Amino acid sequence: MKLAYSSATGDALRNELTSLATQEHVRGLLVLATPSVDITTDDFETTLRSMSVPVCGGLFPQVIVDGEPRASGVLAIGLPTAPTVTVVSELSEADDDLDATLPAEGSEAAFVFVDAHADANGVGSLIDALFRTYSVGLSVVGGGAGRLDGGDEPCLFTGDGVIKDAAVMVTIDQPIGIGVRHGWNEVAGPFRVTDADGGMIRELDGEPACEVYQEAIETNTDTTLHREDFFETATAHPFGISRLDGEPIVRDPFAVDGDAISCFGPVPEGEFVTVLAGDPDSLIGAAEQAAETALTEEPITDSAGTLCVFDCISRQLYLDEIFEREVAAINDDGWPMVGALTIGEIANDGTGHLDYYNKTAVVAAVSDSA
Amino acid sequence: MPERQQRVQALYEIALTIGGKETLTETADAALAGYLRKLNCSVGGIFRATETGYTPTATIPADPAGNALLSAGIERLAELSSDGFPSHTEPTAGDHCYLFSLPDFGALVIGKQGGEIDTATRSALTPLNEKLAEACRNKLVERQLREQRNRFEAVFDAIPEPVADTVVEDGTEEIIASNAEFERTFGDTDETPGTAMVPEITDTGESTQHSRPIDTDDGDHRITTETSCETVDGTEEFLFHGVPVAGDQADEYIHLYVDITDQKRRADELRRYERLVENLPIGVYRTTPGPDGEFKLVNQGLVDILEADSKAYFENRSVSEIYADPDERAAFSDRLLEEGTVDNVELQFETADGNQIWGEVSGIVTETDDGPVFELALQDITARKERDQQLDVLNRVLRHNLRNALNVIDGNAAMLNAAIEDDELQSHVKRIERRVSNLEALSEKAVTVRSLFDQGRSTTTACDIQALLMRVSNELEECHPDARVVVDAPEQSLYVNADVRLKMALAELVNNAVVHNNRSTPEVTLTTETVTRDGEQAVEIVITDNGPGIPKHERKAIESGEETPLQHGTGLGLWLVYWAMSLLGGDIHINDADPGTRIALRLPQAGGDAQSQPDGGTGVAVNSGD
Repeated sequence: MKLAYSSATGDALRNELTSLATQEHVRGLLVLATPSVDITTDDFETTLRSMSVPVCGGLFPQVIVDGEPRASGVLAIGLPTAPTVTVVSELSEADDDLDATLPAEGSEAAFVFVDAHADANGVGSLIDALFRTYSVGLSVVGGGAGRLDGGDEPCLFTGDGVIKDAAVMVTIDQPIGIGVRHGWNEVAGPFRVTDADGGMIRELDGEPACEVYQEAIETNTDTTLHREDFFETATAHPFGISRLDGEPIVRDPFAVDGDAISCFGPVPEGEFVTVLAGDPDSLIGAAEQAAETALTEEPITDSAGTLCVFDCISRQLYLDEIFEREVAAINDDGWPMVGALTIGEIANDGTGHLDYYNKTAVVAAVSDSA
Repeated sequence: MPERQQRVQALYEIALTIGGKETLTETADAALAGYLRKLNCSVGGIFRATETGYTPTATIPADPAGNALLSAGIERLAELSSDGFPSHTEPTAGDHCYLFSLPDFGALVIGKQGGEIDTATRSALTPLNEKLAEACRNKLVERQLREQRNRFEAVFDAIPEPVADTVVEDGTEEIIASNAEFERTFGDTDETPGTAMVPEITDTGESTQHSRPIDTDDGDHRITTETSCETVDGTEEFLFHGVPVAGDQADEYIHLYVDITDQKRRADELRRYERLVENLPIGVYRTTPGPDGEFKLVNQGLVDILEADSKAYFENRSVSEIYADPDERAAFSDRLLEEGTVDNVELQFETADGNQIWGEVSGIVTETDDGPVFELALQDITARKERDQQLDVLNRVLRHNLRNALNVIDGNAAMLNAAIEDDELQSHVKRIERRVSNLEALSEKAVTVRSLFDQGRSTTTACDIQALLMRVSNELEECHPDARVVVDAPEQSLYVNADVRLKMALAELVNNAVVHNNRSTPEVTLTTETVTRDGEQAVEIVITDNGPGIPKHERKAIESGEETPLQHGTGLGLWLVYWAMSLLGGDIHINDADPGTRIALRLPQAGGDAQSQPDGGTGVAVNSGD
């Protein structure tokens, strides 16, 4: 796939994107922007509208270009087949009727990006609708868009302009191999979620969620949880929703309000959660494993293509300076590596259940040939 | 986490996804998603067992045909007998499909690509599957009940009469549902229309709420009654049906209001007609056909005409018994059956007192469920028949006896005239001869008048007016060479429905205009024009003379249509014209002219293109007054 990275703005950015869009074998653009780009300006919208091919993308905390995370600039990926772009508006209000709005089957894979700050139940409804409709018939990768400190700003866009509280989906005809791993391990629990709504957990085992969480961390680790620096501590201790025969699905707590803990992604009431902990080696090892899985899947082996990585920004925050090791572990010399550090990840690996993850490394090996 | 604990936890979480949804599809969708998520499976389906096999209730993916693993599972399911569960298939290496029974509902199919579900977990799924089957069964029953309810509500709304569902609580009845027609009729109300139905429904005692009797079944409190209700259009009459709804709610009722306002209005109208028929001075009766016939209905008029004591007189009495000659009944019955309708058939009947009367019978045949019946009207025409007899006798006296006597007088007068020579005596004889001649003419005219009536009131011929006027003119000029008759009719012929009686009337008028004229040259002008008469086209024939005019007392008798001892004419001429016009459906107008008299005869015009066809285009014969 043809790639372009630019730190330009205005006309210069437009020219560079136009240049990519008009190259041979480019039928669509997947544009991953960083917070250094103000996507809400008329200028950016004009750029989107001026493209001669379908455009779709979002704003993420960081992008990955040539195997390196970048906190500024715009990454554009030229899609070699004409994509179908679908927009799901008012994602927070989404319900089971979503199925009818999804495109018919027929494509190999899809990139799906959601507004990470949309209501967790709406995100859950979209994931359920995608799985109900396609199951493993469509390989899906993507993640949550938005600023880490943001909330209500638009963070997604198509050729028609920028949008918020939405999801965008772009289908392609290239086969992809997917690897999904996180490397977090259970240190406490399980705890039954006795009161929750969307991504907000109010009670665990009938007790205030924050108290249970704090006790679990302080009893099983050397860490002390302080409300004032909740985010920093929670980054190292996400929740895990277990499933048989697979890694637990991670839910990343990011805020505390009274005794309620807010997570990216839904935590269904009645289910059991565990408290996870990780170490750099296990996380980096998991990311490497994800890349290996993606590159060794049946249609990908022995072919050439691009590695599209959607790695959680909280892993970068957790690993900090050694995050470059994780990126390096994923990087394969023969495959260009691009992607984004997302707020939540979306993937199915072609065999199992489609889910919305947190703190997980999703690696998609996208074949050059359709 | 230990494997067993993880399994228990996963199964518990699957159990949470079973039930609590609104519909069967939602229940199956949510449960299937829960199974797949917690077992980390990729495809699956919940299928309902039917007489023809398994039909999908929910599948993931939505189109199972596009997934080889699920398709293989469905194929296996189709081959599986009911005791073949649980079952397993591995269509491609490493891809596994598991089939579980959902007791009394159907089957659950779960597919896992690139892995297996371990035996312990599969075994542990059994109670969950039973729970899922129960949830699906319940939703299926709910769905069937909902469909039944929807059908009921559709019927409820489709009923063209107001219907309400009510509940009685603490002695108060409230409407809990109603159809569109109910709201259209009674408006938006919570109260039952009309007088309160609660006492009738809840009490088994006699009702005092309604003027009409109530049909009740004390066993189940059903009621049917007529009631007046205030509607959005005013007070209307309804037939009210109150039916209790069998079920847990013992005091729930369905109310049906059938609008009988028009029906009652028609019933009132019918009663008025019945009273009218009952009090008619003619006999109205219904009989069965046949030589004897059976009375089915008689009115008081027939009772009176046939001098019976009451209507009971006609019970168990055949119709032929009221005929003077019972055989005539058979002939009448045959004729009515053949023709379907008869008018003014004159028959002789015998009254209960044994008196013979004449009756004029009209009737029709009507078909009923029991076969044809005769609807008949009988008018007593005995008095008219007797007057006809008197006229016949008088006519004979005028035509025969009187003329014979006049002939004798005339002959004797002639002999007397020849025998005497005295001039004064001869003048007396001449006066006798003139009077005899006038009496003979009067007698002839009386016979002519009689002949007018013999031909009845209708005519089936169209008369060419122009030709008629020319003929009348020519005949008059032959008899009266000194008279001058002018015919001023348009070249285009006009036709009227008339026969020879029109010519008789015209000849009488033209002859009178000449005979009673005191001018040296009597002049008569005949003109025609089309006029409108009672909204229809008519032809007016105008006879104008230059004579002295018709005496006032003659005109008055004709204009009033009757003679009195003090107001009478001198002859029959004008009466002949009057009766001829009346019988032909025309009329006569007499006015003074200057000089003389203007007499206009108006008759209905026959078809406009009559002259171009032999029968005048009217289906009747064309004549010129003959």
